[in-house]
Amino acid sequence: MAEARAICPGVIVIDEDQAADQRLLEAVADWCDRYTPLVALEGRNGLFLDVTGCAHLVGGEACLLEDILKRLTQMGFEVRGAISSSPGLSWAVCRHGADRIVSDEDREDVLTPLPVAALRLDPKTVAALHKLGLKCVGDLMRTPRAPLVRRFGPEVLLRLDQARGDDEEAISPRRPVASLSAERRLAEPIQSEEDILFLTRQIAKSLLSGLEARGVGGRLFELVLFRVDGQVFRLPAGASRPLRDAERITALFSQRLAALQDLEAGFGFEILRINVLHHQPFENIQSDLAENDRRHLALSTFVDQVSARFGPNCLQTYQLRESHIPERAERFVPAAEALGRQMPKAPQMLSRSERPVRLFRVPEPLESFAAEIPDGPPTRFRWRRLTHQVARAEGPERLSPEWWLDDEAAATRDYFRLESTAGYRFWIFRKGLYERDAQQHWFMHGLFA
Amino acid sequence: MAGKAVTQETVFALRETIARMEGRDNRSFDASDDRADEIQDAQEKRGRLSFGIDALDGALDGGLPLDGLTEIRSSAMKDAGAASGFALAIAALLQNRVDGLSVRQSGENELPILWIADRLAVLEAGMPYASGLQDFGIAPETFLHARPRKLEDALWLAEAAVASGAFAMTILEVSGNLKHFGLTESRRLSLRAKASGRHLVVLRHAGEQEASSAGFRFLIETAPAANRYLADGTMLGGSIGHSVFRLTLERSRNPALLSLSLEWNSHDRRFFVSTPVKSAGSNRPTAHSGARLSASVDRQGAQEKMGKRLAFHRAS
Repeated sequence: MAEARAICPGVIVIDEDQAADQRLLEAVADWCDRYTPLVALEGRNGLFLDVTGCAHLVGGEACLLEDILKRLTQMGFEVRGAISSSPGLSWAVCRHGADRIVSDEDREDVLTPLPVAALRLDPKTVAALHKLGLKCVGDLMRTPRAPLVRRFGPEVLLRLDQARGDDEEAISPRRPVASLSAERRLAEPIQSEEDILFLTRQIAKSLLSGLEARGVGGRLFELVLFRVDGQVFRLPAGASRPLRDAERITALFSQRLAALQDLEAGFGFEILRINVLHHQPFENIQSDLAENDRRHLALSTFVDQVSARFGPNCLQTYQLRESHIPERAERFVPAAEALGRQMPKAPQMLSRSERPVRLFRVPEPLESFAAEIPDGPPTRFRWRRLTHQVARAEGPERLSPEWWLDDEAAATRDYFRLESTAGYRFWIFRKGLYERDAQQHWFMHGLFA
Repeated sequence: MAGKAVTQETVFALRETIARMEGRDNRSFDASDDRADEIQDAQEKRGRLSFGIDALDGALDGGLPLDGLTEIRSSAMKDAGAASGFALAIAALLQNRVDGLSVRQSGENELPILWIADRLAVLEAGMPYASGLQDFGIAPETFLHARPRKLEDALWLAEAAVASGAFAMTILEVSGNLKHFGLTESRRLSLRAKASGRHLVVLRHAGEQEASSAGFRFLIETAPAANRYLADGTMLGGSIGHSVFRLTLERSRNPALLSLSLEWNSHDRRFFVSTPVKSAGSNRPTAHSGARLSASVDRQGAQEKMGKRLAFHRAS
């Protein structure tokens, strides 16, 4: 660095930011989604695109390669690319050869003159191979295989076979492949929300035949917006039950767009795509009781609206569980989840006293005075700076800790229903027993109606 | 002659429209011809939720309208339990009502209830508790709650919920009198409720009276609970039975301020007029408070005394 400054005093030094580089690579990968859904990251500066069956959409492999390279170069990247029948060969050609398309016939001819480093081997192996005089891939191909394995392990031959296409290599795509997707490419970019929604409706309509053919409806959709400058926005939206109807799919995204503040249209979006990420069998319910059916539809539409706008956790319902510890006896589940499946019936607990209508998630400590010993209620207590005089009390209801979940230190609770002289009804408990524990603490846990 | 009849027809139609807009009982306009029956039919279809208490139902023109906005208010946060309880009791009443004819037995087809919680109220008084709701007469499976971050979100939720028609009742909880929830907003909600025929309750904790579009406004205060009854019909002194609400009808078409105590029976899911707890002894701790034992719950009673019983012990 000092030398560099000595040579050129005006040099600007910027530290390498690996995370930012990674983000950039991911952004480029997102952008490449327009060509194929199967995009994988390779190392720190490479991308694999599986274009099997996609090339004809852009007019053949040659056009595809040219299009990718041209567009990325216009964005200011230095890009090289190659298309071949195996990922290994493409890697070798684009890093150590020229931008080209390698057909299956001249695979060997292309591979032979390339250096050994083109086989994605680690530098140590490459150096060792160089020492032996094996400089290019052709040398390796001519060498007997068994001694190579003995000397360098299976890695070298594996890479060689992968490059020759003898060994199938799978790339691992970044995102799960959507079971169905439909898209629109636009000649003129669009910016306004109405246009986006209008196109969404059109795309959703074109999804319908695919969904019908499989007999499914989508549960999780994703709207992918490709902006002109390469930025890609993904808006997922879930439905509480399988959907096919274009109107309802559009309604999901319209809520989602309304809630989204930071969607910058910039110079507009050029490609819109809807992916069906998750689908479920669509029940063709014959509506026998029209009234009942409509109600269910209304509820699920509302739940979808809310989850699209505020996220799935905003609207919740209860699931009762078999536990006698009050806060453990209930669990919040997102309504969208609960609607999809049959809720288990609430377990009936016969031998318990009445529960309050409002419960504090975390019991609040209170100060109690003149409690009966050993296990009576307090005569007075102070909670939130107010002193309440106890007029009537019911209890105790003794709840032992659940030893199969709690540790041994968990204290027994004695619950009391109290009514103050003013008529307020509380649910309080004492933690710890007079006989056993040195200190007992009192807590407020709920309010009765 | 024919022209006059047509004019009269028009006048009646207009009056009816006005009455509908005002949510008023319009049965009294004309009683002569079939028009009256028609109006009465429409009235019945709109439906009202009767409390089963004559004094209250009378003041409410037959009950709470099913397609309107009602406000339930408490004057301080410490009444949050009682106010929530009253709102939930109305929800339970609504859920169990089938076109005003019979009480439904199974909980299968009940419309759900939506509770839109307020952040502050949750901090001050906790969330509605599933087991408690069960005890109060509401099936927890039919109870949804939402916890929006902002008031605008809460208003949007309330409006969307009412408009969807999917809920038997929507409860919008707010605390205090909020600047951004004034007459305009409540008018908007009330129109939505009217259009979709669903009931919306604004539950205002620790709030003052203010202008709103609600048809009725109740002030709820807590009151000492009723005693528990024993199997032989006697009262169990010192016990805490059904919840009692002190209810003041602050706003209605009726100019008189109505105030009464209601007792909610969660088993029968209906209100009763509460008789005040008379036993002063049980209500106040005695001088020797040490001797007073709390009423036991879920425990065995004391062993029966042998021999001839001459008199009962005092209940407390």
